[in-house]
Amino acid sequence: MRPPPHIRPMTQSRIDATQTRPPFWRNVTFLKWATQIGVLVGLVVLAWILISTALRNLEAQGLSLDWDFLTDPVGIRLGEGIFTQPASGLEAFATAIVNMLRVTASGIIAATILGVLVGISRLSSNWLLSRSATAFVETIRNIPLLIQIVFWFFLMTLFFPTLEVEASGPAPGWLIVSRKGVSIPWLFPTDVFWQWFVFIAGGAWAARRVYRRRIELLEETGRETHPGRWALATFVLISAIGWFAHPIAGALGWLFALVAAVIAAIPDFAFQLLFAAVSIWLGVRWIRRFLDSRRTPAGLARLTDDDYFRMGLAGALGLAGAAVFVAVPQITALITDVTHFVFAFLDQKFDFLRTGVPLRLGRPEVVVPGRFPQIGDTGMTMTPNFFGLWVGVTLYTAAFIAEIVRGGILAVPKGQTEAGMALGLKRSQVLRMIILPQAFRIILPPMGNQYLNLAKNTSLGIAIAYAELVQVGQTLFNQTGDTIQVFLIWMAFYLTVSLVLSSIVNWYNRRVKLVER
Amino acid sequence: MGKKLTLLTAVFALVVAACGGGAEETTTTTAAPEPGETTTTAPAPGGGDAGAGGGGAEQAGGSLLDTVIARGTLNCGVNETLAGFGFKDETGQFVGFDVDLCRAVAAAVLGDADAVKFEPLTAAARFEAVNSGLVDLLSRNTTWTQSRDTDLGLDFGPTTYYDGQQLMAKKADGFTADSPLTDIAGAVVCTNAGTTTEKNITEASAALGLDITLQTFEDFNIVMENFKSGACDVVTTDGSGLVSRKATDPAGDEWVIFPSVPISKEPLGPAWKQNDSVWGDVVRWTVYAMIIAEEKGITSANVDQMVANPPDGEAARLLGASEDEIQTKMGLPADAFYQVIKQVGNYGEVFDRHLTPLGLNRGLNALWSDGGLLYAPPAR
Repeated sequence: MRPPPHIRPMTQSRIDATQTRPPFWRNVTFLKWATQIGVLVGLVVLAWILISTALRNLEAQGLSLDWDFLTDPVGIRLGEGIFTQPASGLEAFATAIVNMLRVTASGIIAATILGVLVGISRLSSNWLLSRSATAFVETIRNIPLLIQIVFWFFLMTLFFPTLEVEASGPAPGWLIVSRKGVSIPWLFPTDVFWQWFVFIAGGAWAARRVYRRRIELLEETGRETHPGRWALATFVLISAIGWFAHPIAGALGWLFALVAAVIAAIPDFAFQLLFAAVSIWLGVRWIRRFLDSRRTPAGLARLTDDDYFRMGLAGALGLAGAAVFVAVPQITALITDVTHFVFAFLDQKFDFLRTGVPLRLGRPEVVVPGRFPQIGDTGMTMTPNFFGLWVGVTLYTAAFIAEIVRGGILAVPKGQTEAGMALGLKRSQVLRMIILPQAFRIILPPMGNQYLNLAKNTSLGIAIAYAELVQVGQTLFNQTGDTIQVFLIWMAFYLTVSLVLSSIVNWYNRRVKLVER
Repeated sequence: MGKKLTLLTAVFALVVAACGGGAEETTTTTAAPEPGETTTTAPAPGGGDAGAGGGGAEQAGGSLLDTVIARGTLNCGVNETLAGFGFKDETGQFVGFDVDLCRAVAAAVLGDADAVKFEPLTAAARFEAVNSGLVDLLSRNTTWTQSRDTDLGLDFGPTTYYDGQQLMAKKADGFTADSPLTDIAGAVVCTNAGTTTEKNITEASAALGLDITLQTFEDFNIVMENFKSGACDVVTTDGSGLVSRKATDPAGDEWVIFPSVPISKEPLGPAWKQNDSVWGDVVRWTVYAMIIAEEKGITSANVDQMVANPPDGEAARLLGASEDEIQTKMGLPADAFYQVIKQVGNYGEVFDRHLTPLGLNRGLNALWSDGGLLYAPPAR
């Protein structure tokens, strides 16, 4: 049915109204979308230009970014680590990474303990203690770390006793102190260790449950319930049972073998589809959660253009991820191969009713493989290179942690201490139960920065030939010429370590911070 | 507020993108002439790419010889930390065996041994310096190897010093100059990082099935301190380096260098950018002239008499004292090699000036007539 002719003037006027709206280049909605997409395209183009220019220039200079050195024989030896004669670049890097993580982990633990003690000591009312702590902090943090590392290294290699076959160490067979290293007795895991470890992990979990239960009981009844002792007893008991009962846990080997077999049996394209689906699902989930967060009691809030853009981007990323999984089967193959390797490896560590003692005591000894006495690998040995780097980064970081701890404690209002004293608590109780828990929240974020510094400072180990990532990487590119690749690996590794460390600290920080409403 | 921020971001992104595009253009266009900064109008000799095609085209245009003559100075890459070979002394002067080769080439090309601009280079930076055109000649105790000769885009001149990697241990540990390499089994061996020595000792010990602990330090001084304290049982590097360490250390008498036959060949010599045979001839024949001069007993002290009264035709040609000299055909002045001998000296003089004081003897670096490996083609 045609509209009657008298309606025409009205339509005409509506068209007039639309014509008075601003042109599209002044339209807010258009501008927002255009800038968002413009920024995105700009970033992609910029990255593309940088990378392609770099690659073209490299090619012009006859340099190529091939990664063969990771699998080819390298012909180098490393001072210490899991592979001292690496067969490939990959093994060399693995050794270097393990060495770097050893220093980082032990350094973080030692620096935290020492730093907290020194920080508290600086505030002690004991004059000698607080002055010593101040002297420590001021000395350590005002000397460049590199000098300190070389100093500790030389302290061991120049001033410790010479290694002698006869009369080695202050306590032969138990402790060897020499220029070639310090060696102590150590408990080494045997091939049934992982079966026992299942019980240790289970014990830790059960101890946690018991601890919480006892705390609840304390809160209900108001009587002392000794939650700490109960938890410790639970842990020790389960671990002790496991020491003898671990062959039962070997049954887990069947489970791991089954998983490995299933992974091997499922064809790769199925995994590709699975990962693609997961990628899309993650995108969809993000959008749904985003919508949920915009929901108010009055219904869905008005979404801005920016919100639509974010949702669009999330969806696009999910689809792009799916496309990559489908188009590049190597990524899926890598993931499944690594997973399969992990489960096959675990399968070897477990065997139903495989008996044995989980830990073996090794005592240090001096061996003479040629003309020169060396410390044998029967004990746990700290080389001068590890010693220099570890002591260097530990003390240096501890000095900074001490200042953070001191600042954190001072930031807790004085009234808290006074209130605690007024309640009749002892000084140590006030510190432990009132001040430190509050100071802890202030201390934690800057503490994370110090851990990151420590991790990155381990790269100074190159000065004293500690086989960490920078030293090994430099050796590798000197032999192979693949400088750029090694730099990329360095950057990727340190970035990963830093991100992991900071996300752990951030996660912990979120857990312990005051819940504000 | 939000809108402003978005707009700001957009503007910023546009600027960045524009810069990115611009930067790309500049890198590609400036890549070639950058090293040409040192030249004037001649086509950039060290132009960015080491590609065969571009190199060939440049070759026809001009040699480094023309560039050096036009510039009036020779840019020479040397070591500044290795006593005897290339060293910056307390007055800031470069001295040493390798340094004198730079001076000899400058004397031949420009008639003035002091017309050299020395460029101190690290081991890692030296080859890039040649390829980018920063230096015309590299004379920095550089080992001539197959990969450097082919893969790195260099050409090598005659070996000026035949070196070889050796090890050093203490006499107290039962070592003698004839100790075999197998004696280091189980030892902590220390060396410097980033050189061929690391690979050599790894391969040599692996070939013999020796289990050693290898520690590689950035700084050879740390290696020596640990060797003295006993934290390192054995040290290894080029034989010449060990000799100079042993000679300069008070405890050096208690040490011994072994095995008598080095575990590697380290022929050290000058290098330059490949595919420049005109320039290569100049460097090569400067070295040969110094060797021939020693053969004939021509020294900086008696070269004037030799020119006035040449002992034979070859000497006369080489010193430019006869009409059939060949130097002008190479693009050099007729008296080029006279200037080399007069201002720098013959090979033996240079060796005696820098290396004999360190306790190095001629050994393989004696003239062929004395049982060494130095043998120059005849000048005719």
